[in-house]
Amino acid sequence: MKRVLSIALLLLLACSLLFAEGKKETKQLTFAYMSGILDPFMIMIEKGAKAKADELGVKLMTAEYPKKWGADVQVPILEALAAKGGFDFLIVVPTSNEALIAPLKKISDKGIPMITTDTFLGDGDYSKPSAWSFPLAYIGSDNEKGGYEVGKKLCEMVGGNGKVYINTTNPDASSVTGRRDGFLRAAKEYPGVTVVGIDYNLDNQEKAQQQTAAVLQSNPDLKGVFGTNLFSAQGAYRAVVAAGLTGAVKVASWDAGMDQIQALERGEIDFTLAQRPYEIGQLAVEWGYKYLTQKAEVPKVIRPGFFIITKENLKTPEAQASIYK
Amino acid sequence: MKAQPVVRRGNPGKGFLTYLGERWSGFFLILLLVVFSLIGRNFFAVRNFSNILYFATIYLLLAAGETFVIITGGIDLSVGFVMGLVMVVSAIIMRDMFAAGQPVALCMVVGSIVGLALGVIPGLINGILVARFRVPPFIATLGMYGVANGITLNLCQGFPIYFLPPQVERLGNSFVAYFLPGRGVTFFQKPPNIAPEDIRNIVGIVPLTVLITAIIVAIFAFVLVRTKFGRHTFAIGGSMDAALRAGINVPRHLVKIYILSSLFAAAAGVIYVFRAGIGHFTTISSSYELFAIAGVVIGGASMMGGKGSIWGAVIGVLILNVLENGLNIAGLQAFYRYIAVGVILIAAVVIDQLTPERRTRSV
Amino acid sequence: MSDTVALNKKRHNAGGWLGRNWALLFLLLEVVAFTGMGTHFYSLENIQNIFVACTTILLLGVGQTFVIITGGIDLSVGFVMGFSTVICAKFMVLLLSAGLPEPAVIFFGILICLAIGLIPGFVNGTLVARLKVPPFLATFGTYGIAYGFAEIICNNTPITGLPAGAGTIGNEYFFYIVPGKLFSFLARPQNLTRLELRSMITIIPIIVVIGFVAVGIFGFVLRRTRFGRHTYAIGGSVDAATRAGINIPRHLTAVYMISSFFAALAGVMFVLRYVSGTADAGSSLTMDAVVAVVIGGASLYGGRGTVKGTLIGALIIAVLETGMVNLGIPTFNRYIAIGGILILAVLIDQFFPDLVGKG
Repeated sequence: MKRVLSIALLLLLACSLLFAEGKKETKQLTFAYMSGILDPFMIMIEKGAKAKADELGVKLMTAEYPKKWGADVQVPILEALAAKGGFDFLIVVPTSNEALIAPLKKISDKGIPMITTDTFLGDGDYSKPSAWSFPLAYIGSDNEKGGYEVGKKLCEMVGGNGKVYINTTNPDASSVTGRRDGFLRAAKEYPGVTVVGIDYNLDNQEKAQQQTAAVLQSNPDLKGVFGTNLFSAQGAYRAVVAAGLTGAVKVASWDAGMDQIQALERGEIDFTLAQRPYEIGQLAVEWGYKYLTQKAEVPKVIRPGFFIITKENLKTPEAQASIYK
Repeated sequence: MKAQPVVRRGNPGKGFLTYLGERWSGFFLILLLVVFSLIGRNFFAVRNFSNILYFATIYLLLAAGETFVIITGGIDLSVGFVMGLVMVVSAIIMRDMFAAGQPVALCMVVGSIVGLALGVIPGLINGILVARFRVPPFIATLGMYGVANGITLNLCQGFPIYFLPPQVERLGNSFVAYFLPGRGVTFFQKPPNIAPEDIRNIVGIVPLTVLITAIIVAIFAFVLVRTKFGRHTFAIGGSMDAALRAGINVPRHLVKIYILSSLFAAAAGVIYVFRAGIGHFTTISSSYELFAIAGVVIGGASMMGGKGSIWGAVIGVLILNVLENGLNIAGLQAFYRYIAVGVILIAAVVIDQLTPERRTRSV
Repeated sequence: MSDTVALNKKRHNAGGWLGRNWALLFLLLEVVAFTGMGTHFYSLENIQNIFVACTTILLLGVGQTFVIITGGIDLSVGFVMGFSTVICAKFMVLLLSAGLPEPAVIFFGILICLAIGLIPGFVNGTLVARLKVPPFLATFGTYGIAYGFAEIICNNTPITGLPAGAGTIGNEYFFYIVPGKLFSFLARPQNLTRLELRSMITIIPIIVVIGFVAVGIFGFVLRRTRFGRHTYAIGGSVDAATRAGINIPRHLTAVYMISSFFAALAGVMFVLRYVSGTADAGSSLTMDAVVAVVIGGASLYGGRGTVKGTLIGALIIAVLETGMVNLGIPTFNRYIAIGGILILAVLIDQFFPDLVGKG
């Protein structure tokens, strides 16, 4: 009897869903921002987006920051956001080039246009019709190209000759792996340069320092180190300093957090590549607004570019604008 | 291995040697050191051992606190995030006091003390939940993990805390003594007037933070083994009912245990700030609590409670750190190390289990 | 240890459907609260999303339930899941390039993945049961080994290039309805106008059905078969179980193999949903799985727990997480909210025996 009752109850609940209210349309334009993970870079994108949104009189709702980079964490949040509704435009950092195509297509099919920032879907080319060409645009600095630039610069700094080492965060985070791969591509062009190893610190600065220290220990003739993001760089340069090797080992870094800038001033980091997350956020909102209100033609790819900050050019306004704060 | 906890006679020093003789983990650690010295370049070097200890301090502190909890049959999953919370709070205090023009020493002292004091609160809450409300420790500390993380993030807004007084990082990275070949040993300060070529040759002996950690750990090893507090901990782990009947105030003791664990996490947080010179939140992928607990279990503790020792935890943590360092120096690439650590660890435990005297040990 | 037994007695003697089903009530309370406070929370789309979202934790949790009942724990499930997404994806890509037709590629890819997925479980079981390695350490070791192999096999880059058909199973539904116009079974209607697309209703994701069937089967096994009874017996007391004639090593090995099977199944679901393989898929979910099992009534000391409880636990977590997004609670506060609600949930559980009366 209790069995029958509970099954009947379940069926009743299920049917009631069919009559649940439909979506209401909102009056004020609302943009939604789905980030990739909780870190200063993503937060800066939100800041830029929010500033622009306030300026244009648009509401910005921010979805929860995923605790881990990956489709398995981001998609449930995205779908919950989509079910909630109430937004007209989506700014998203897809945490996987492949895995996010299907979930984002579902949202696109509902009539919500979107722009992907920092990471793209598929191969990033939205101009040719394909399974992933539905986003309006991709706004971001090319991680692979940036990695390549850093690689070239570091290899030149060590005279085209010697051992270098990469310390990065997570092999499953497509943005960071792009930097790694770009760096490796550059290193190939310098036959005298050997990459002795690539370590993964999983976003833990201490681990980055620990791994770099071990590599410095076993390779006393190491000449260059590349820390591919905030935490990696902070750990890597500290290891070099602790070993007393500042100057002897060149340190390349990515991202422009205050700690890295101060290290740059002290000469403990030789150069760092700053992306422009704030600008990315602004551009996304700006183009989204133009598209929604004026049906403007949005360029398929917008690259705010990156800026390589060195001790020499640190004081220039361009460099100052690139710092994350 | 005896069935019930034993109060060791003699001093902790002798206890350590007896421990070494009884356990596979001690021998295993020594074996690792020997093997890595042979196959790795520059493994057997003061600087490298210094590094290993230096990076192990955080885990040692967390593991020490965790040992007490695990012996009572509980678990504390919040330690990584309590550490993050204390890190951020201490850093903010130091930064703000420094910006307000306060003397550096005062900034550091106040920051540290407030940080440590803060560590009492999560432990208190954990303890009350577990002892008075009988919430399973797994859930209680997991809840605290979330709460501590959330508060930390709110305080730092996702960004690391910068602009601490520069002396903070200098202090955290200083050594007890420095040795420069040809110039002898200096205490607490680098030798003055070093030529640039000589910078590479300075050898730091015993990082300050390692010394502090060693002292704290040694004190609590003593506490665990030689005081009433320690005996009561083992008693509760053995059987809560028996402990109650023996007149031990179990709820109050448990609260103290969780506060202790939390304090260790706070100490780890303060030391981290001094070493890194910045404060930042603990990332989810760091898994500090997992490695701390692993260290404790490798050292001989049982998740069911009633067994365990601080020295065991120390050796367990060192084994994990030596493995990581040694395999890296030996040239094993990133993910091969994961496999190697897993295999070696399991092999070591299995060998231990297969030796005759171990047959009586239950799962 | 005896405290748990005492609590057990209280719960059974106190009677009251209330006390024993607090988790279910809590779940309903959650849904009501979020519906009231949120936007479109109680809608067809959202509730289905919740079921899809809980599937992964549920699968990992069911496997973990068996293990926890025997008094052990399986820390490797998150990374065995990642490992199996890599294996599954890798084989699909290989078979595809070998020229096999798509359906065969998908079928064999899944089959091979599930078969290989049993290996970590076998290793875990052997270590725990025959070599007497503490479960924590055994599964800690295999977690590292699985992760290491996964990253090496995929060469530190997520695997792509799978047949598109795989995504079909993972993302499609059983029924498609465009109100007033269409009703389609299993086939997503093509060439719809924008308006039609927006109003289309999708019902019953295929993936949820597959997941729940697996869960249902093993729920039955745990509750109604001798295998299930033996599992509880071992959890209650290893000695008593041995004396009763149960082959402990063989049984425990089977239990850990069930756990890794479910991890592999969760991995297959991932591949079907996201058409790629990533080594760290599911790495953050090991903890969630254990939480689901514990909320569902299991004790980490062993002897207690049910699949139904784990299902409710997984739903509680999924509803909580979806609700947080729906309410728009800022990320930072979400951690506090989830931590607090978790503790609250268990506190309520503790109070119920008192409310209903001591036995």
